[in-house]
Amino acid sequence: MRLLRAGRWITGIALVLLAGVYVRALAYTPVERAQGLAQKIFYLHVPAAIWAEGAMILVGVASIVYLFLKDPRLDRFAHASAEVGTVFAVLMLTTGPIWGKPIWGTWWTWDARLTLALFLFLLYVGYLLLRGAVADPASRARFAAVLGICGMILVPFVHLSVYMFRTLHPMPIVLKPSEPSLPGSMLTTWLMSVGVFTLLYVGFVIQRYALSYLNEQLEAAGGIP
Amino acid sequence: MQVPEAVPQNGGYMVAAYIVVAVVILGYALSLYLRTRRSLRP
Repeated sequence: MRLLRAGRWITGIALVLLAGVYVRALAYTPVERAQGLAQKIFYLHVPAAIWAEGAMILVGVASIVYLFLKDPRLDRFAHASAEVGTVFAVLMLTTGPIWGKPIWGTWWTWDARLTLALFLFLLYVGYLLLRGAVADPASRARFAAVLGICGMILVPFVHLSVYMFRTLHPMPIVLKPSEPSLPGSMLTTWLMSVGVFTLLYVGFVIQRYALSYLNEQLEAAGGIP
Repeated sequence: MQVPEAVPQNGGYMVAAYIVVAVVILGYALSLYLRTRRSLRP
């Protein structure tokens, strides 16, 4: 299957490049004076958060179009994007507290950004549970599409919560209207990491899409996926 | 790696985060590979 092979190649390349990002971030990017080495978690946490949110936006867009066209490929893509988004949400929610403990002095606080990020993760989990709970493919796709659209609506609130509420979470230092407030070498590492996480997202989604397709073929043939 | 003295010594947290990310990403890549292989089995 060509799609599966393409997904595996992209993922393989992304994993090698991720190793390169590790080397660059750990050995060739300067240490931030106020936060120390813990600041380097930023190079993984933010790209993971970008794709945790980005994946849900794509789930929502695919879901809206699915409700009009009823094309199973859109539902398959939404499912793949949701599963991969869940993985990135796990990364966001684990690296965040690991950074928060040395910098804030606590693993977790129930402020707006953190709570909404947790809510996004729970929506992902709910989406995947819903898909597992409904047997009829057409109903499953329709119900999941509605939840996917709800998830997409949540994303801007997650991203803008630092402006809308008083929160402990730092304000954006790159994704903001004015210039990024990062020195050049740190910005380069961060951009490389975002590129690699994007490639990982693409590789994972293609593989997950191909897996759904294979399972559907198996189901149609009367096998157990 | 040279770290000036005034900088907080919290490298352990960084190492933990980098390990968590590697484990989760490699684990998911492996899970996709294994699930696909099972589906491709005749």
